[in-house]
Amino acid sequence: MPIDVGRLVRRLFSEEAAFTVAVSILVAGALLSYLVWRWVHSLFERTGMNDAVEGTAFERSVSRFGTSTSGIIATLLGLFVYTLAIIAAFNVARLLDYEVFWTQVTRNLPRLFIAVLAIIIGLITGDKAKIVIKERLRSVKLPEASILGDIAKYSIFYIAALIALAQLGVATTALLVLLGAYAFGLVFLVGIAAKDFLAAGAAGIYLLLIEPYTIGDEVRIDDKRGIVQEVDMFVTRIETDGEEYIIPNQQVFRSGIIRIRS
Amino acid sequence: MTGLGEMLDEVVEDIDAVLLYTQDAGTFERFDNDDTETIVVATENAVEADQFVALPLQFNDLDGRIRYGLEGAMDADLIAEGDEVLCLTTFMDGGDIDTIVRIRADEFSHTGLYDLFVNSRADPDVVRDVFEVAIELGKKGQKGKPVGALFVVGDAGKVMNKSRPLSYNPFEKSHVHVGDPIVNVMLKEFSRLDGAFVISDGGKIVSAYRYLEPAAEGVDIPKGLGARHMAAGAITRDTNATAIVLSESDGMVRAFKAGELILELDPEEY
Repeated sequence: MPIDVGRLVRRLFSEEAAFTVAVSILVAGALLSYLVWRWVHSLFERTGMNDAVEGTAFERSVSRFGTSTSGIIATLLGLFVYTLAIIAAFNVARLLDYEVFWTQVTRNLPRLFIAVLAIIIGLITGDKAKIVIKERLRSVKLPEASILGDIAKYSIFYIAALIALAQLGVATTALLVLLGAYAFGLVFLVGIAAKDFLAAGAAGIYLLLIEPYTIGDEVRIDDKRGIVQEVDMFVTRIETDGEEYIIPNQQVFRSGIIRIRS
Repeated sequence: MTGLGEMLDEVVEDIDAVLLYTQDAGTFERFDNDDTETIVVATENAVEADQFVALPLQFNDLDGRIRYGLEGAMDADLIAEGDEVLCLTTFMDGGDIDTIVRIRADEFSHTGLYDLFVNSRADPDVVRDVFEVAIELGKKGQKGKPVGALFVVGDAGKVMNKSRPLSYNPFEKSHVHVGDPIVNVMLKEFSRLDGAFVISDGGKIVSAYRYLEPAAEGVDIPKGLGARHMAAGAITRDTNATAIVLSESDGMVRAFKAGELILELDPEEY
């Protein structure tokens, strides 16, 4: 305990000695924070994090201020260490009413740090998720498709903000409920939307594996008769003269298929 | 040198559009701000031009490249018939633009080269992939010996009904698509077999070993081509398929659509 250290030094040596100890703690803290700063930088370099955060909005706006994501996080960690050192030094030198101060700080400082870190990580992963999804949907030339990226981005922002607020001790229950409702809605709606696709896909796997009919066969499904042109995961294409039926696979399954041999 | 300068000025005078065959952003930017319409023609829209015609293959002969660009631009309504078009492209191998061709958009006969790729029944990607396989096969042959092959792409259901198997179909219950990495090797092995490959609209290899039985009357292909080309021409007249043939005797890759020879390529040039 730092409090005990201060008292111990004072009892063993003198008031001046305590002050010297405080100063040396300050110096050691500065040194340590510098080491931490260097370590984070090299860690980012080694693990390829610099490349991973490349191109996100956060990285871009940070680099406008002449630094980088790794720089921000390193500085943050360094500051954290240095603040601890300062507090310890104050403590030893008895410059503050540390009894109250210390308990406050030890409780809140790490939390504040985690909150800031959560925000930064949230901003970065949110942006990164958006970029990745956008890249994926690049081939779909549909401007509306980009909304998926935005949904992912803001979902991650929201969760990050939630974590940060919870760390700071703000009551987040209402926000948590909102998040739950949102997640539920998302899963539920996607489930409803994709229901037919799932059914068609399940039937399609059977049709592709077993091949009860194949391209070139003449078949009848319900009252649609024609030559099979293509069977894929979700649909079967049947063609007659001038008409092409695109039949979802679950319907093939449900109503059965008649192969016509002549 | 004034004579030369005047000549060049005359060539580039009063043009309606520029077809720029480049992937280089610097070259594009020099043209982008001009008043004349600039249409980029390349395999990839690397310069993110608004007006762009995608080349399916890096045509090595000038004729095919210019033809494809013009037909593509006309199809997309980027240029109209009667427009004076300037094509800037590369004649020899190498990256820089060294050739200026001035042409009127309706001056050349419409061969359907663009339609062959874009408006076929099969997906453009599938047609392109089959071309690549055929070119590859033509280059390397089978164990050094020249091989022939016949690919019928698209309208597979009808093609299957107008053909019969010569033997067991090695592709039965397989789900191999052209463009899969394994296909090059597989097709090289199977090209030893007689008969045609049938490929569906979506690129699935439906069958090998097919003996095509289309009605061959009225098929007009250049004299001197063999039975394989005749079968290819006939099946495309009878169905909506596209046929891509690798000739065993002269090593050329030819494409047929609607019974007509549309494109002739020398694999060695690619």
